[in-house]
Amino acid sequence: MNRPCPDRRDAIVDYMLGALDARQAGALREHLAECSGCREYLASLQEQSESLIDLGREVRSGMAARQERVIEALREVAPVRSHTRLALPFLGGVLKTAVAAVIVLAAGIGIGRWTAPRPVDVEQLRADLESSILASLAPAVQQRVLGQVDQRLLTALSANDAKLRADLGRQVHEDLCLLAAQSRADSEELVRLKFGELVDLIEAARSTDRQQVAKALDQIRMQTGRGLYTLAVRANDSTADLRN
Amino acid sequence: MDERSDNDLVQASRQGDRTAYAGLVGRHYGEVFLVCLGVLGNVHDAEDVAQDAMIKGFERIRQLRQGSQFGGWVIAIAKNLSVNLLRSRRPAPTTLGIEPISHEHPGEAAHEDLQWAVAQLRWDLRLPLVMYYFDGQNVKAVAEKLDISTSGVYQKLRTAVKELHDILTMQGDTP
Repeated sequence: MNRPCPDRRDAIVDYMLGALDARQAGALREHLAECSGCREYLASLQEQSESLIDLGREVRSGMAARQERVIEALREVAPVRSHTRLALPFLGGVLKTAVAAVIVLAAGIGIGRWTAPRPVDVEQLRADLESSILASLAPAVQQRVLGQVDQRLLTALSANDAKLRADLGRQVHEDLCLLAAQSRADSEELVRLKFGELVDLIEAARSTDRQQVAKALDQIRMQTGRGLYTLAVRANDSTADLRN
Repeated sequence: MDERSDNDLVQASRQGDRTAYAGLVGRHYGEVFLVCLGVLGNVHDAEDVAQDAMIKGFERIRQLRQGSQFGGWVIAIAKNLSVNLLRSRRPAPTTLGIEPISHEHPGEAAHEDLQWAVAQLRWDLRLPLVMYYFDGQNVKAVAEKLDISTSGVYQKLRTAVKELHDILTMQGDTP
């Protein structure tokens, strides 16, 4: 067989595949009329194509039997039950936020209680915290709680570092927005359980740190005097609002 | 042939309706098999993997969100299974292993040299070649099934056709 022109091989294949436009096809036909090597190459490619089509016909002839075998094999299997995704990817963030929120609330309550004339009632504090957090996460009041938590953060942290306040505020807002958007039915029970555990943990930690907190508060009170007293009164008022 | 849409058949299959899934098998098995054959280059391997892909499709049918996308979804499963098998197996197959339709010449494979030559191609060239020539010579349809552009299919086809011809010519045989 004569060899085709090397620079025409792609065009000849494209011509056979029907990929050339009318102008390109016309130019190639003019060349083919004059070049026996390229004509032979095209004829050989066309013959190859016919053989491939024949081969395809042979392959397809066995398709019905193959399908039957597949359908037979299907008798042994069934659809796998899809797993509802219970994992809440942002739960860590929510818990982190909740820890922050509870600490802030506890600090607010604590400051009020420590500076008030009456003694601290640990059981009452625990009940207040638990009912406050659980009520906050109930679906019906989530949106209202967003505003409350933000307001409480701003109030309770007004005397603290501005950056910490901004970070906590943003985190609370983002995480609770995500929480509100989630499927409430799936997450409520899990969140309720986690918060029960969380309150226990915080209470345990608080009990051991009470003396240190009292000491620190005394120091702060000595340093800041009346300013802290004002803050404590406001925090105490805010806590009473949340409980109500 | 079940007249229901793919979406309807998928919804019924989700409930474990094997008759509905058999309708999907009848509609899509041919393409799935050709994808497996195109990647693996051997009929027996393709039969095994195509069956595996269709069964996996039934088992995982509840993961398919859009029932109308079943064809592309099960082809993707078949292609992944085939590529994984090919990579785990060396050396590559030496022939397609297609038996002749007529049995006038028992033991004689259909287009033996051509089958051998097709099996020598790289799988990414063989896949569009097999789908184009074995299933209606429609570049647009091949592009949609493989989720690549038509120009991409033309490019692969051109290379595959030339390489196949070179292999056969070097073999001292023209098809």
